Amino acid sequence: MDLFAQLFVNGLVNGSHYALLGVGFGLIFATTRILHFAYGPIFTAAAYAAWFAANVLGLPIAAAMLFAAAIAAVLGVITYQYLYLPFERGQGSSHVTLIASLGLFIVLENLIAIIFGTGGRVIDGYQYSIFLIGPIYFSSVQLGQVIAMVVLTALLGVYLARTRHGKAILATTDNPEMARIIGIDTVKVSRLVFAIGSALSAIPATLILLKDGASPSMGFFAVFIAFVAVIVGGVGSLRGAVAGGLALGMVESLGLWKIPTEWQSSIAFIVLFLVVLLRPQGLFGRAVN
Amino acid sequence: MLKRIGAALTAAFFITTSAALAAEKPKDPDIIHIGALFAMTGKTSFYGTVMSQGMKQAIDEINAKGGVDGIKLEADIEDHKGGVAKAGVDGFTRLRNLYNVQAVMTSFSPPTLAIAPIADEQKIFLINGGGVSNNLVGASKYLFHNRSLASDLGHAAVSHAHDLGLKKMAELAWNSDAGDNIVKVVDEYWKKNGGTVVASEKMDVGAANIDTQVAKIRAGNPDFVGLWLFSPDPGVAAKRIRDFGLKVPLIGVEYTADVQKLGGAALEGYEFTSDYFQPSADEPWSAAFAKGYKERYHSDPDFYAANYYEGVYVIAEAMKRARAEGGDWYHGDKIAAALRANPTFKSVYGGSMVFQANGVAKKRVALFKVQNGNKVFEKYIEAK
Repeated sequence: MDLFAQLFVNGLVNGSHYALLGVGFGLIFATTRILHFAYGPIFTAAAYAAWFAANVLGLPIAAAMLFAAAIAAVLGVITYQYLYLPFERGQGSSHVTLIASLGLFIVLENLIAIIFGTGGRVIDGYQYSIFLIGPIYFSSVQLGQVIAMVVLTALLGVYLARTRHGKAILATTDNPEMARIIGIDTVKVSRLVFAIGSALSAIPATLILLKDGASPSMGFFAVFIAFVAVIVGGVGSLRGAVAGGLALGMVESLGLWKIPTEWQSSIAFIVLFLVVLLRPQGLFGRAVN
Repeated sequence: MLKRIGAALTAAFFITTSAALAAEKPKDPDIIHIGALFAMTGKTSFYGTVMSQGMKQAIDEINAKGGVDGIKLEADIEDHKGGVAKAGVDGFTRLRNLYNVQAVMTSFSPPTLAIAPIADEQKIFLINGGGVSNNLVGASKYLFHNRSLASDLGHAAVSHAHDLGLKKMAELAWNSDAGDNIVKVVDEYWKKNGGTVVASEKMDVGAANIDTQVAKIRAGNPDFVGLWLFSPDPGVAAKRIRDFGLKVPLIGVEYTADVQKLGGAALEGYEFTSDYFQPSADEPWSAAFAKGYKERYHSDPDFYAANYYEGVYVIAEAMKRARAEGGDWYHGDKIAAALRANPTFKSVYGGSMVFQANGVAKKRVALFKVQNGNKVFEKYIEAK
């Protein structure tokens, strides 16, 4: 039972991490219909930016996190402006933007490796706290992962529902053609979601930097799990991305309670296959006839 | 009388023919291309970086001394993207087609296993200084190893745990050929010697999340945890194991600068078996290599850099010996034959190493302990 309780907490922590990644990726995907796989290396760039801010500039962790969010937001907007938007204006198909995104993924990942080297990076001297509640262990970083997901998702929900820009995002997500007809500048909206979605990735990226360190290839898993969380939860749904991420984390952790751990990497795929097969619109997505 | 004359004439014929053959001028290439298949990108690009650095240093040194009997060497490096078999085959094909390489330095088990049959067919000399899977042994008759294999390292690690009187082992292994090989050898040894395996968990190479594995290991209440992982994962695993409150000894098979960077204080007391590269004043070559490496790359060489540095010298020496035979010597099979004819080579680790009939160079395995963030040599464990 102790093991089950620990696995439950692990699932909640990892699920929160996946959920936040899913929210950022899903916001971009649902609004722009762009499968932005370069979200992965932008996540990596954010981790390295946080490392640079904390280690080289000597900023406190919270400031380093904000610095990383700003860098990620700028990278996201540049990516949209100079890579995806020209394809959109040229009536390029979604396949073309997908290939462009994958190409950018490879370029950015290698660029990060060239600039920072291929070895791992950690923040010198940083030591997180460990908490023990009964038989359950967790760290301050893991607690931060859960809190970050709850707070940022709630703030994003309020922003989308209550502000003019947020409502424009929701309108564009719902029907881009209609949004254009009623006068919403969908290009501006796309820039905005690339900025917000990318900035969101900086928070889990910084927390992973604190927990495990940063490496040039860390973005692959991040974008993969974000994509699965969005598909499982339902495209276009904030609640869906959160539920998808949490479900993935829980299934991945509790599923291995009795199953050998060599199956770990297959679990996300199994969940994805089951959802696509049984509920293609995802847990919170709307069925389209 | 006629018989004697006939015998004398026959003998004279063979002597002159043999002399003519021995004197046949070597057919030299303009340049000797040494191919390499390294992990230059991907999660494990750390390896490609250090291996290629060691290789390039050796090539520059040999060229500065005139190359192989005056023929310059050139490094041609292809990327197998962190051990992807298909990328390895593609890279090997490019090396053959573009540069007609006859000797290739290979790394990682999957790409090496994938190119082995092609190397056999095309008679290409291969030397592996990084891959540790036992399946590599005998994969090609032209494949040689100057790296201790995973099972050797694992066996030495658990024999040390046994000597410490530990009984309950938990293990965390790479979900790969190398990890599987160690688990197989280690579990057999451990059970045969009265120990029990309380948890046997697997993690993907460079896995982002191993909390579940560590929770299951902790639930097994082990006397020690065997980390059958390679860089940088022992660092990540050690950190997570300590996070979960497990204070038992950690024993593994690898430690690098990257492992230390990621593991930090959690690695204090970590013991590991490894190929041992330690520059020493008593071994001038090892000291010169380490000094040169530090000057070029501003870091100390680890044993991967040392193995590929040493591997280039093995290739160059084997080529020199093959060339001494004269004729059309620049072929992988001739280079391999020269190595087999005299399998003793100078080692950058000190002294000499001898390639066994199975292609694996016999080296001692060293046991280290991490103290104050540095590895400290404890003792040698003879290879089984």
